[in-house]
Amino acid sequence: MAKLPVDVPELVKQFGPTLNRVPAGGWVGSEEQDRMVKTHCCFCGQQCGIQLRVRNNKVVGWEPWEDFPFNLGKLCPKGVKRYMQDEHPDRLKHPLQRVAGKGFEPISWDAALSRVVSEIQRIQKTYGNDAFAVLTGASLTNEKAYLLGKFARVALRTANIDYNGRLCMVSAGAASKKVFGIDRSANPWSDLPKAKVILAAGANIAECAPITTDYLWQARENGGKLIILDPRLTPIARNADLYIPVRSGGDIGVFNGMLHIMIERGWIDRDFIAQHTTGFEQVAEAVKKYTPEYSARIAGVPAEMIVRAAEMWGPAPTSFLLHSRGIEHHSKGVDNCIAAINLVVASGRIGREGCGYAMITGQGNGQGAREQGQKCDQLPGARDIENPEHRKYIAGVWGVPEESIPGKGLSAVPLMEAIHDGKIKGLLSICFNPTVSLPDANYVRAALEKLEFYVNIEFFLSETAQYADVVLAGSLMEEDEGTTTSVEGRVIHHRKVVSPPGEAREDWKIVCDIARRLGHGDKFNYSSPHDIFEELRVASKGGVSDYYGITWEAIDNNYGMFWPCPEIGHPGTPRLYEGGKFGHPDGKAHFLPIEWRPSAEMPDDEYPIILTTGRVVSQFLSGTQTRRIGGLMDQYPQPLCEMHPRLAEKVGVKDGDFVKVESRRGSVVVHAQVVKTIRPDTVFIPYHWPLDRSANNLTIRAIDPVSNIPEFKICAVRVSKTEQPTDPIAKLEVQAGGIR
Amino acid sequence: MDGLKPINLSPRGSDTAHSLAWGLIAAAALIVGIVVGSRGLKDFDPALISYAGATVFSAFGLGYRYAMWLRRPPTRLYWFRGWQIFLIPKRLPGNIARLVRIFWNNVVLQRFIERRSKTRWTAHWFLAWGCLIAAAVTFPLSFGWIRFETAADNQQIYRAFVFGIHVASFPLDSIMAPLAFNILDICAVMVLIGVFVAMWRRGRDRGAMSVQQFSNDLLPLVLLFAISVTGLFLTASTHLMRGLYYVFLSQLHAVTVIFTLLYLPFGKFFHIFQRPAQLGIDFYKRAGEEGGQAQCIRCGQPFATQLQIGDLKAVQSALCIQYAMRDGTHYQDVCPACRRKNLALTQDALWRTPEAELQRFDRF
Amino acid sequence: MSERAFYIDYSRCIGCQSCVQACAECDTHRGVSLIHLETIQRRESVQTAPQVCMHCEDPICARVCPADAIKKTPDGVVQSSLKPRCIGCSNCVLACPFGVPRYQVEIDQMMKCDYCYDRTSVDKKPMCATVCPSGALTFATAEEIQRSRRGIAINSWKFGNEVVKTKVFVIVPREVERVNVELVQISPTPSALSDDPYDVALMLESVE
Ligand code: SF4
Ligand code: SF4
Ligand code: SF4
Repeated sequence: MAKLPVDVPELVKQFGPTLNRVPAGGWVGSEEQDRMVKTHCCFCGQQCGIQLRVRNNKVVGWEPWEDFPFNLGKLCPKGVKRYMQDEHPDRLKHPLQRVAGKGFEPISWDAALSRVVSEIQRIQKTYGNDAFAVLTGASLTNEKAYLLGKFARVALRTANIDYNGRLCMVSAGAASKKVFGIDRSANPWSDLPKAKVILAAGANIAECAPITTDYLWQARENGGKLIILDPRLTPIARNADLYIPVRSGGDIGVFNGMLHIMIERGWIDRDFIAQHTTGFEQVAEAVKKYTPEYSARIAGVPAEMIVRAAEMWGPAPTSFLLHSRGIEHHSKGVDNCIAAINLVVASGRIGREGCGYAMITGQGNGQGAREQGQKCDQLPGARDIENPEHRKYIAGVWGVPEESIPGKGLSAVPLMEAIHDGKIKGLLSICFNPTVSLPDANYVRAALEKLEFYVNIEFFLSETAQYADVVLAGSLMEEDEGTTTSVEGRVIHHRKVVSPPGEAREDWKIVCDIARRLGHGDKFNYSSPHDIFEELRVASKGGVSDYYGITWEAIDNNYGMFWPCPEIGHPGTPRLYEGGKFGHPDGKAHFLPIEWRPSAEMPDDEYPIILTTGRVVSQFLSGTQTRRIGGLMDQYPQPLCEMHPRLAEKVGVKDGDFVKVESRRGSVVVHAQVVKTIRPDTVFIPYHWPLDRSANNLTIRAIDPVSNIPEFKICAVRVSKTEQPTDPIAKLEVQAGGIR
Repeated sequence: MDGLKPINLSPRGSDTAHSLAWGLIAAAALIVGIVVGSRGLKDFDPALISYAGATVFSAFGLGYRYAMWLRRPPTRLYWFRGWQIFLIPKRLPGNIARLVRIFWNNVVLQRFIERRSKTRWTAHWFLAWGCLIAAAVTFPLSFGWIRFETAADNQQIYRAFVFGIHVASFPLDSIMAPLAFNILDICAVMVLIGVFVAMWRRGRDRGAMSVQQFSNDLLPLVLLFAISVTGLFLTASTHLMRGLYYVFLSQLHAVTVIFTLLYLPFGKFFHIFQRPAQLGIDFYKRAGEEGGQAQCIRCGQPFATQLQIGDLKAVQSALCIQYAMRDGTHYQDVCPACRRKNLALTQDALWRTPEAELQRFDRF
Repeated sequence: MSERAFYIDYSRCIGCQSCVQACAECDTHRGVSLIHLETIQRRESVQTAPQVCMHCEDPICARVCPADAIKKTPDGVVQSSLKPRCIGCSNCVLACPFGVPRYQVEIDQMMKCDYCYDRTSVDKKPMCATVCPSGALTFATAEEIQRSRRGIAINSWKFGNEVVKTKVFVIVPREVERVNVELVQISPTPSALSDDPYDVALMLESVE
């Protein structure tokens, strides 16, 4: 019965989001902290080092951690104000259960866990094991990611576990694995400033990976050139040497077009291609028709821009490719990435100083959380769940029969569809707010209502947790210990800073308790996250992402360790593919020919405008945490619909007007922001807000056939001027989905 | 505000000579006041001569410092403008009414400090009123302007004289008596409360700690503490210890007071005399609001009163600040936000040479 | 005081507001953010302008202050107004060539960037220059700057005929010796090319 117990305004009244503006202990007050704890920011994949100040088991402030080599004390606004999520009035401090007509009321842990366990058993007995699913997140530590993967396969024996990294890194990962055989950024960031040309595709670096900015500017100081592909002229693009305002979904035009010119003009490394790659001929054949003119039609930009890009990239002595969600969030996301990576491989500029390639992970543990076996198709160590060898090894580590491990399950979007279709009846979720973050949000809300039982582990009552039958009060990053793996492939240590408040508990303890009550206590007998990590090391041993040689001690002594690190004492591997040795069994990189194809929904007469979605610098993902922090909300309080003055004129809209944006799936009412820095055929809305302010009311539930990533970056909409809405949702505070 | 006469911001003569003269005038005026007020020194208590002497020096210092301060063009401008505006006949009655109100809020209650911080306000209020009341009693006493004596015909009646004139009598067992005798002790306790709260605040506020200087921020508290404590000891000595160490204590007390008097014109305490200028600013701002708004020449938005911008330009030329731009505009007519935007644009443009620009936004 | 100094490179700024958020975290004025960040004209561009106090050698703010409330520390840091003195007239706000001081209505006084004095006086970096992700604000040694930037650091400015020297440096191309400030709007366009340098539609024009 996963329906809202009372209406949204009432839930908001009880559980927020409200804004925290003043730190624990007030602004002034100099009693020294008891402790200063070195740890990391939880608000993006870069995982900047930071030190939190603690007094009386409360986080009262922070200090830069200037020694940490990745960010050297730098932080984006989220990192700066991150500590305001601690001691927050909205914090869940005990388990809750849904009471229809009333909201949620506290219950004891014993009652909550009994209820969860009996519902799991009932559903699995009635409908089969796979009818109970698990949805997890990529902001969890490696330890929790590992634990949840094992929990699903060993304690629940369900195939259906997936995670919200499905909305983030899977296209990049799949492409990387196909071409290079390994799913990880190939280089540490220290290679960026040494590159003479950097191509960043679909990466709003200034807002989504702000710390990387300095690396790019440093490259420019060293004489490097910057090429940016983005439908919007972002702050990074403003200083780019070449900015290509590509049409969303047209990136392959630019990449294939560049390769076409590079081949034509001899700007490829034939020796490298011969020695270290396969499949070049097919690619050369495929890009033949991508003349600048043809490519330009696909990309929606002047052909000269593509020529210029090839001229900059082709003959450069060193180069670096960066890409992120802008090219990955497509129903051809994997192809987009492969087409880009082909440029790297053809140039032979990889595996050396200043030469390489990286994908910019978005979520806190975007890299690590996809390696430890919480993806529907993976086992720990980035192992394949369908591969008998891999299954056998993991079965050994877990001490279970191989055949007891389920096969490949459903990924996030199909999983939600299975819920909608009544095939999945029960759900446990943690660290995932699909009502805000999945495409076609109306569909997601309808799906959740069909669940027979839904349990959610959360620290704040997210918009999705509002649908739960039982909410288990879990832990924030700083309330538990563990490791994450950063954008560079650097495994780092999040120290425990404070303990969870009230009756809230560390997530891993909650999961282990459920497993124990399900009768699998012997397999979940951990006394600390460190115990879990020790098992994870062994489970990853010999896998692609081999953590075996990484110990917490080594992490602490070296400012993190880069995997693969196959044995104790191994220095780790900051740069992959040195000497042209790639991750496939044949040791080569595999070129793959890519053909452009249209996006799932192209603009037409009815819905003539392209909508693209993304992030703003002050918010993190679905905003469960950052929409509760006053300083961050002040910075960008409500979503704006960016549009070019030409488009605005066409639809009769002025800056600041209320506009209704509609797609075939839903609508939002937001303010217009009329700017010249966006393509005139495109509008942009950031997605961090819920309900009637959720850009995902509009987006399409189309997914990439390989990675299953949703197509967040393009769908068709229409825009019209409207009046200020006055319904109860509109009247909520902006952080709750209202509008001002 | 039209019709305000321009103010001469660069008066003739040497600043020092001018200010010395004012210092001497102040000192002389006080001496005359003492002599006349004590009826030709008849009421003057010679035991208090060192206090009176230090006060005369202090008066010199204050006169000198105040005059020096008024020689600075911006101060001078506000001083004379403030009076000009205050004294406009049409506005005078309203101005006086307003003055009383601001005086009550800003001087008596010191509300403006409360808005900065409650502890700061508590400390300041106790310190200020402890000191002001004490000064109101001790200065006239040491000048021989007031004195007390028991009535010749009745030992139980006390009589107070101001400038030799009998103004009040009160019986010893009335409530007035202990108040009159202990007023200084009450002040001392108030000051001590203020000192402790102030020290507590300073010890807790890391910001305050990092910018504080001993001579400016701590010495005044130390002095007030010393005066109060030695004063209280004197009372204790008289009433509780039968005059034990009385002479030593009274000399120590005198030393602390005299040192403070000498410090008065030059240290932090000078703000007591500067502060009332804030009242003038209030009138200035109100008068400005009634006049026109100055519009920024870059963005066209109003950003200050025309009165102030005009005056500021005058101050700047007196200070030789040359904001006139080559194209005939004046930098003072650019609003602060536009200055900031303009700076970034200027620096950014330095990097966008035609050559760099060609490469960057080449439209092929 | 260390030999490290404060450097600004406006052109690097990405408008992320880390500096604005972090400014309020410095103990000298915790809870109050004093740095400025202007969005120059969002319709036209994404360009932003950060501004800290430049700590002038002969601060105009102090010269025009009637209350003598703005003081420089021996190490050259121009402090916020002295609370007992400042009478809230806003002369400094209006006269500072860099538009730095802020009139804080609630307290009827001026406050301004004070170089995070609690930090810099004990050889820590100021908050904004520590966190700034773009290096637009940097606190470093002259040697580090020389090594890492193509431009040079200068501290001489001219507003009209007024020459101002500052403790804080600005990074400019090598040939520049002094920043001569004239009034400019969003498109400085020393090139003859684009009047509207950030209009995406114009960039695309030739495709249509
Ligand atoms: S959100 Fe990312 S960039 Fe910002 S401080 Fe945290 S880790 Fe660094
Ligand atoms: S920059 Fe402005 S506020 Fe800072 S010292 Fe100079 S004049 Fe004063
Ligand atoms: S932190 Fe740096 S990049 Fe961000 S707004 Fe401030 S100056 Fe600009």
